[in-house]
Amino acid sequence: MTDMTKEELHRGLADAVVNMDEATSARLSEEAVERRYDAFEAIDHGLAKGMETAGRLFEEEEYFVPELLMCADALNAGVDILKPHIKRGKQDIRCKIVIGVISGDTHDIGKNLVKLMLSSSGFEVVDLGRDVPPQSFVDRAVEEGAGIIMISSLMTTTMEGMWEVVRMLEERGLRDRIKVAVGGGPVSQGFADKIGADGYSPNANHAVRLAAELAATLA
Amino acid sequence: MPRVRFKNQGVDMTVEEGTTILDAARSAGLSIETPCNAIGLCRKCRIMLSRPEQIAGIVSLGPPFTETDGTHGDVLACQSAIYGDVELLLENYADKNRSLRILSKGHTFSYDIRPFISKRFDGTHTKIIAGDEIVGEEDGDTTMRLYGIVIDVGTTTLVSSLIDLVSGAEVAAESAINPQSAYAQDVLARINFASKNDGMYILHKAFIDSCQAMLSSMSKKASIDLEQIYEVVLSGNTTMLHLACGLDPSPLGRYPYVSRLRGDEYLPAVEFGVSPFGLIYLPPVISAFIGADITSGVLASQLAGLPGITLFIDIGTNGEIVLANDGTLSATSAAAGPAFEGMNIVCGMRASSGAIETFKIAESGDSSYSVIGGGDAVGICGSGILDVAGELVRVGIVDKNGRFAASADREPLKRALRKVEGKPAFFITDEVYFTQHDARQIQLAKGAIRAGIEALLSKLGVNANSTNRVLIAGSFGYHLSEESLLNIALLPRHFAGKINFIGNTSQSGGIAFLLNADFRKSMRDIVKRIDKVELSNEPGFEKLFVQSLRF
Repeated sequence: MTDMTKEELHRGLADAVVNMDEATSARLSEEAVERRYDAFEAIDHGLAKGMETAGRLFEEEEYFVPELLMCADALNAGVDILKPHIKRGKQDIRCKIVIGVISGDTHDIGKNLVKLMLSSSGFEVVDLGRDVPPQSFVDRAVEEGAGIIMISSLMTTTMEGMWEVVRMLEERGLRDRIKVAVGGGPVSQGFADKIGADGYSPNANHAVRLAAELAATLA
Repeated sequence: MPRVRFKNQGVDMTVEEGTTILDAARSAGLSIETPCNAIGLCRKCRIMLSRPEQIAGIVSLGPPFTETDGTHGDVLACQSAIYGDVELLLENYADKNRSLRILSKGHTFSYDIRPFISKRFDGTHTKIIAGDEIVGEEDGDTTMRLYGIVIDVGTTTLVSSLIDLVSGAEVAAESAINPQSAYAQDVLARINFASKNDGMYILHKAFIDSCQAMLSSMSKKASIDLEQIYEVVLSGNTTMLHLACGLDPSPLGRYPYVSRLRGDEYLPAVEFGVSPFGLIYLPPVISAFIGADITSGVLASQLAGLPGITLFIDIGTNGEIVLANDGTLSATSAAAGPAFEGMNIVCGMRASSGAIETFKIAESGDSSYSVIGGGDAVGICGSGILDVAGELVRVGIVDKNGRFAASADREPLKRALRKVEGKPAFFITDEVYFTQHDARQIQLAKGAIRAGIEALLSKLGVNANSTNRVLIAGSFGYHLSEESLLNIALLPRHFAGKINFIGNTSQSGGIAFLLNADFRKSMRDIVKRIDKVELSNEPGFEKLFVQSLRF
């Protein structure tokens, strides 16, 4: 064992994630457990901080999809070790999010990336998959008690379905309790405004910030 | 009501307040390109105000206008609502596209001339026979006057040939921009446009008008009457065939992506203004995203008869891939997106004059390039973009992960490596450059096609290195270099030396369908047996795609 302070260990965990280094992430997480450092803190101040940096690098286009996925692998290698040691009551789950690809479309790689970034930032994400009818977004959001619906589409021809989700929420009087965010290749801020969505995100990292902002308006 | 003038076209009109510049132009029959389907994303519909101060009469539907919008006087036509009088400088669409590269020739093979339409003179009249059926009669002996048309209906271009069905010779040819691209550039945008209001009518009419113009020009060139044309073969992707026939294409744009056309069918050809007995023939369609153009390519390249393993690839916005293994065929399509057409690329443009089309970096680090039309470079077209990306990867300015290097080893490269808005870019001229963002877009586009290739190969249990030959079809592919395709790893290194560029086989295969009716049945059987692979349903596809992003 080295003589690292807790802060140094947290920094080491963050660096391991940014450097896509699974082995170091796992080794330092074990060290945190052995030293009886707070596991939640090790995730929150260490691994998650690293993922935040990775997300920023992705948004700045220095990192790309493969690097981001490898960072997530490094993060998970640590989280798997630390999670069983989190003291009860410390796990404050952020707002619940229902996510999916709108009906008519089966392209889900972008959606999966957003989901990955959201869950590594502490959101609980319910993934409805792809080709999801507008009705299912609304029904599942209600069932799950979700505060945010996130919808993705890669095909111009299916974007209308997003509008339908917003309309259904209005009809059922749920519009102020459930926020809607949209994204995907042909989607734009202008389109989000037009259909009355609460937000648009151009990439997976921005989606995390957007979710946090929307969650704050719900609290 | 505000008054709108399109100065260059001499159009003077009044519009309802709030009408967009785009809608005003379209209602006056003027074309403005809107690749992103008018959602304000692609910025390709920029238009100049002849008096910049008139920007006061325009309200932006997108982000508010900035200082520079005012001074330069250019606004996005699709995002600008008119509330005051404006005078606009619209470049003529035809001028802009006059120099667009269109490839009309493709690889073909030798076959007997046995057209579907034949004629028989009985001493007084000439009978017109379609297949085994007599469909009409003409006075006197007209047996030597028998012609057919093939039109390659591309998303961007139309290529047509007038063929003498007696000799088999092409007697005239003509090409044009697909006029539908002015309304919606890519396939999905066009499906969307067709599904709204009178969109279907507008697109169909634009297509027919353009075909009539090509046909009349060809018949003049060859000194024949349009009445002597008896068959029109339409070879094109599935969406283009729907629009050409006036069929609603909307099922193609939604999962499970069903095509209402199966091809190998006949329709009356009256709209083309040919013989009253004239027919349209549509070759067999493989699937919603693998159309008759690919069937024609399979025919022209004789893919089903080639020994060993052959890959047939048509690189484009939608990349179609057919894998042949000793006569057993499987096919798929990969959504590459519009980056290869120069869209979503900062200095990207179509392959028209002013576009950098080839690019090379010498040992010294100095770069050289060629420009379509020979003038100053104003942008980079698809083939140039692939060359630039390929060369930057080769010399290490961009690494395997797609990331720009912080510095370069050679002086000319160091000078070219500069920052744009804080991010690295490679400057080809002072105005034309390639950015980190562009590299990412190319990774996504080429990754989609590479993943499609890998998926078909692995489904069949074949290694890339056991591939015997690779056929690159299509007009875009024809202008690419083997070097660049390998450098950006759109194709595996193992394909080096096995790659052939076979050109517009949609057209050459279409001609084979016209000249020998036996292919209609044989290709119908081949198409029926093709294993159609939907990539998004393939387990492990996402992982394959991520791996394929590497240069």
